[in-house]
Amino acid sequence: MVGFALIVSAFLINSNRPVSNAGGKGDAFTRASGKCAECHAQLQYSVVHEFELSAHSRRGLTCLDCHRPAANQRTKEHHGFVLSAKLTAGNCRSCHEGIYQEFLRSGHAAVSWAAIYGEKGLSAEEVAFAERYQPGRAKRPPHPFVSLEGADAIKGGCEQCHSVGRPNEDGTIGNCTACHTRHTSSVAIARLPTTCGQCHMGPDHSQIEIYEESKHGVLFAAQQSSLNLAAPARDLTTRDMFVPTCATCHMSGLNGRKITHNPSERLSEFLADPITNRRPNAAAGKANMQAICSQCHAHETIERVYAQAQKVVDLTNDRVNMAQSIVDGLRKDGVLKGKPFENPIDFVLFDLWHYDGRTAKHGAYMGGADFVQWHGNYPMLQKTVELRAMASDLRRKR
Amino acid sequence: MISNFAFLVLDIYLAHSVNAFRHWAEYIPLYFSMGAPLLLTIALVARSCGRVGLWVALGHVVGWSALTVGLAGVLFHLQSAFFVERTLKSLTYAAPFAAPLAYTGLGLLLVLDRMISAQSREWAQWVLLLALGGFAGNFVLSLTDHAVNGFFHATEWLPVISSAFAVGFLIAPFFGPVNRPYLVVCAFVMSAQALVGFLGFEFHVAADFNGPSTVMLQNFIDGAPPFAPLLLPNLMVLALISLWALDAARPEESETESIA
Repeated sequence: MVGFALIVSAFLINSNRPVSNAGGKGDAFTRASGKCAECHAQLQYSVVHEFELSAHSRRGLTCLDCHRPAANQRTKEHHGFVLSAKLTAGNCRSCHEGIYQEFLRSGHAAVSWAAIYGEKGLSAEEVAFAERYQPGRAKRPPHPFVSLEGADAIKGGCEQCHSVGRPNEDGTIGNCTACHTRHTSSVAIARLPTTCGQCHMGPDHSQIEIYEESKHGVLFAAQQSSLNLAAPARDLTTRDMFVPTCATCHMSGLNGRKITHNPSERLSEFLADPITNRRPNAAAGKANMQAICSQCHAHETIERVYAQAQKVVDLTNDRVNMAQSIVDGLRKDGVLKGKPFENPIDFVLFDLWHYDGRTAKHGAYMGGADFVQWHGNYPMLQKTVELRAMASDLRRKR
Repeated sequence: MISNFAFLVLDIYLAHSVNAFRHWAEYIPLYFSMGAPLLLTIALVARSCGRVGLWVALGHVVGWSALTVGLAGVLFHLQSAFFVERTLKSLTYAAPFAAPLAYTGLGLLLVLDRMISAQSREWAQWVLLLALGGFAGNFVLSLTDHAVNGFFHATEWLPVISSAFAVGFLIAPFFGPVNRPYLVVCAFVMSAQALVGFLGFEFHVAADFNGPSTVMLQNFIDGAPPFAPLLLPNLMVLALISLWALDAARPEESETESIA
């Protein structure tokens, strides 16, 4: 009797355990559901705790689901488990292939890496694929600063953000954790302005500062606690996000709109370029973005903002063209010699479009008036005067 | 007893290598298992030389120390996870909390040998109680250990079921006198335990030989504990001794009612 009672109770206890803890996909997966935490909860508590907070955990995934080797990955043995030696987007795409494909077409993928290192490290296929969606942005030489500042400076600086599109050993591009973080794999964190602001900040791409100045940013600061940042992507409505963050406008599928992991789908111009031109998908990009704008704003308001922003873009193009022609003239006349960034005037020109020009254009589209004026047009005017003075001085000294 | 302690050196070395002896206290059972056989050998020699007092004293020292090591081990093992979460899941994934009780069992056996005559019925019952406790512990251990593995292979239920039967059979003598046929059945049940144990040993070793690491020792450290199933034949011996002693100390059949 006692023996039977023990056996029955053992079966009952086991049958009431969660599926992830009591079998399903295999013994290694089951073991991983708690075995990993046995050590790591003590060694790196936050890692385990962050995972426990995640949607992955709620859905019964185990550590092994993400840490198992994906295709073409080097493996390592770790306390009885075979793990991936280095996790990449290849691990995420095992379950999120569609999202990965969207990401590949975006400026966050190979072209982000190419902005520093050019084609180096990218395969011919990766360059060709990226060129199809972001023409002229993958098939390019390394940025001059790579050789001028040195590998260590670039690795510790530029690469930290641009590695979002790094080529991986396994043939994939990038790492989703740049936005979603590692163990939380959080959609809520990816929707936070501060997440985008990790890289989209500073004088060269001051989107986060502009956002904070804008009405969108002010409302977010005031009402963040009322927003449902963790709302499921497919069901996201303006009731969840009645104040937009970067992700809301550039990626989210608000009120049934198409979700995208390729922000370029909603962009119509290359604002980050010295001279802004229309994107190949300009009409669709504008329509897509305006469709999101229209979830909160009237059509007239949207058109007015776009028209006003276009004027700032055109004005900035004129100013950059003018500045560029001054420096080009010096080179043409043999007044300015040497490689790029060997003369002080090169830096003035670079700052003019790279800092001030970009800031003015982004400010215009994102509702950051101060950035259009005092961080954009004003310093552009100042640097134009400075350029002219420097050019005159150089010609006089010749 | 000496071989049991000596064997635990290897067992503890493998078990605590999983986390590379991270906590200093993990060395205690290792060193204790090295020292205990030495002291018990001295005790044996002393008894054969007629120095029974030294035999008793050393037995008590090793016995009570083993008891302490075992109980402290349970607390240390539980501390690895259970006291943080206090859930059945954390109990499953904690270090095998019942394992250190092997020391407690051995300690109790040593002390028992020094306190009660081996010819008495009382001694037989105490040994039977220890064997019963061992099988009960093995029931819990095999249940929680194989739960970690999700009972992926149906054979992982074997030690759970066999231990439950062993507990069921060995518990009966505590509720009343038993006759010889019952003890014979018990002996067969115990033999089945040994069979399950050896089978488990083979399964565990085979799994370790196919482990993911290129270093075989690492597979034995991180994989299925190779010696854990051998607890079953070990307990079988203890149980058979107690059953034999119980039979020897059994009152005449005519004098008592028996459980058949």
